[in-house]
Amino acid sequence: MIEEGNKMTEQESLKLINEMIGKAKRSYITTGAASIVWGILIVVCSLLTWYQVYTQHAFGFDVWLLVFLAVIPQIYFSIAEKKKKNFVSHDEHTMTYLWSTFAICIFILSFYNSKFETDSSHSTALFMLLYGIPTFITGGIFKFKPMIFGGIICWVLSVASMYTDIATDMLFMAACGLFAWFIPGIILWKKYKKQQLC
Amino acid sequence: MFKELDPILHSQLRLAVISLLISVKEAEFTFLKEKTNSTAGNLSVQINKLKDAGYIEVTKQFSNNYPQTICKITPRGIDAFEEYVKALQSYMNPNGK
Repeated sequence: MIEEGNKMTEQESLKLINEMIGKAKRSYITTGAASIVWGILIVVCSLLTWYQVYTQHAFGFDVWLLVFLAVIPQIYFSIAEKKKKNFVSHDEHTMTYLWSTFAICIFILSFYNSKFETDSSHSTALFMLLYGIPTFITGGIFKFKPMIFGGIICWVLSVASMYTDIATDMLFMAACGLFAWFIPGIILWKKYKKQQLC
Repeated sequence: MFKELDPILHSQLRLAVISLLISVKEAEFTFLKEKTNSTAGNLSVQINKLKDAGYIEVTKQFSNNYPQTICKITPRGIDAFEEYVKALQSYMNPNGK
């Protein structure tokens, strides 16, 4: 317990500063739930699209509209996380602006595709390019390697998709969802659960 | 010549509080209590001392009908913390190497 009246040496002061900064940093942990939901959705939508292309069997509706459903759990999880937290980190505003930028860009690109009826096989590369940006930056800011790798995988697959057909592109897209969000989300969830037990 | 250590910061609990607040944008009283493992009474007294020195800002508000005390480090607090760390370093490394 830290109490007043105890004399501190210079070494003790520095140790205390490091200890407190470390404690504050370790408090940044998130549940990863939003990342898991988004990852599952991208994987499911990509595989459903792949199935439609592969079997030439159309479902009669745009499966990617399901992505908009992700907004509901995203809002729910972010409010639930905010209620639990008793501090605001420096990076929170950066993250809000970064992921909002991503959401706006995805929306504009989807709108552009539907307006000009762009060849889907070309736009998948652009979607994967966008997926990589916030993932890589988030991973870099929090020094979270699974997201850094996830971002890089999105970019590599974005380039690869320029040389493949739409069916393969959809498998690449599913891989992006898996490596950029689902797996990092599971790792965050496990970390969160472990911290809850401590 | 050794720099003088700021007496406001050269105290265990106040230094712990300011170190936590420099790492976050703002924090509730409960966060500071949890991380410093201190008593509410003692923490409250030390927070008031930091506030009086102009090192932190304290906002009291209600959230879901519960009172909430939010603390935030001020630019003056940041300067004081940086000076304090520099002074500590001069003690640890008197030759400046």
